[in-house]
Amino acid sequence: MPELPQRKAGIVACSGEELAEGTVSRLAALKVLQELRPGHTVTICLPLFLAGGEGDRAFARVHPTITIDGCELRCAARGTEMYSGKPAASIVVNDLAAQQGLGKIEGRRQLNAAGKRAVEIAAGRLAELVDEVLGRPHHPAHGGEITEPAPQQTRIATCSCGSGIPVGKITIDGNAVEIVALPLIFQRFHELGRSPDAAVDELLATVKIYNYVAPGAEESFRETIVRAYAAFCEEEAAAQ
Amino acid sequence: MIPNKQSVVVVPCSGIGKPFGSVSREAAYVLCEELRPADTQLVALSKLVLGEQQARERVRTSLAVTIDGCKQMCAAKLVKGNGGAIGREVAVFDVYRRHKHLKPQGIAELNEQGKKLARVLAEEIAESLDTIDCGRSEQGGQHA
Repeated sequence: MPELPQRKAGIVACSGEELAEGTVSRLAALKVLQELRPGHTVTICLPLFLAGGEGDRAFARVHPTITIDGCELRCAARGTEMYSGKPAASIVVNDLAAQQGLGKIEGRRQLNAAGKRAVEIAAGRLAELVDEVLGRPHHPAHGGEITEPAPQQTRIATCSCGSGIPVGKITIDGNAVEIVALPLIFQRFHELGRSPDAAVDELLATVKIYNYVAPGAEESFRETIVRAYAAFCEEEAAAQ
Repeated sequence: MIPNKQSVVVVPCSGIGKPFGSVSREAAYVLCEELRPADTQLVALSKLVLGEQQARERVRTSLAVTIDGCKQMCAAKLVKGNGGAIGREVAVFDVYRRHKHLKPQGIAELNEQGKKLARVLAEEIAESLDTIDCGRSEQGGQHA
């Protein structure tokens, strides 16, 4: 199957500015993005699900997403599910702290010792979940060597703000349907020289990675997507 | 303390991937914890994403100051979307353009310049708090 850009795990932190646990959520997410699993993770600001565009809202449908919340309100988990897609896994800092017997977490600007310890523990758990959702062999978050070479990438938090996933619109059975990553899929298949007739099953399989297709609608999707891909190939040929 | 009015709600963005987001949050803390603790209350943007009842009530019944780290202006959009009125809408980048010597770097830990930029921003907002409620701003407010 043609490969699209490498699939990464999404991390969404509540970042709750009112509570020290919100600071823990944000710092733990950053630790995973920058230190523990750089190159395998990407993040987006939670509010962009509302303030951004359709490409931003597609985040959790394209990236298997792990949410980390500071408190039992679970704004990140619930917000992600409401506006983007069901998270693959979720963590609540308060729960984790209670399980580990940490003391009271305090200091939203400057965490106390319990808060700093919570960052380490939450980041370690997040890294484990990243490995699980990506199907990677688990590498210990602390004290272990990562033997698999990480992709060439700078160690910065990979932020998706303003760089939403491209969405294609097609009409299926008279209804306009948005297909996440469709332009990328068509482009990649075309680059590989796949003809529309020969690529039918592969196209549908790839679309289904990033989009939900109801079992009863598969045939309509298959026909429409192949027609759209044929039109895309014709346009590409005409442009050359 | 601002007389005869409810405290101002301060909503920073939840920026996680860029230093300007960290500046917005730090500025909100400086404002609410150090400069005007009696006049301001911080509201977490994530609660407005969820439409949490108490947070919505707070932005609906108080004038808001929003501080955004990027052009998406999530804080301003969500306050308006939850029925709030914005008295002062601040974009960190606009403040940075007036103080280019204060270049913020670092996300988890802001550099000194970033912290200074946050303080400058917070001080500017603090100075304006006594005047922004004149006639209660329309939704959308003014851009810093």
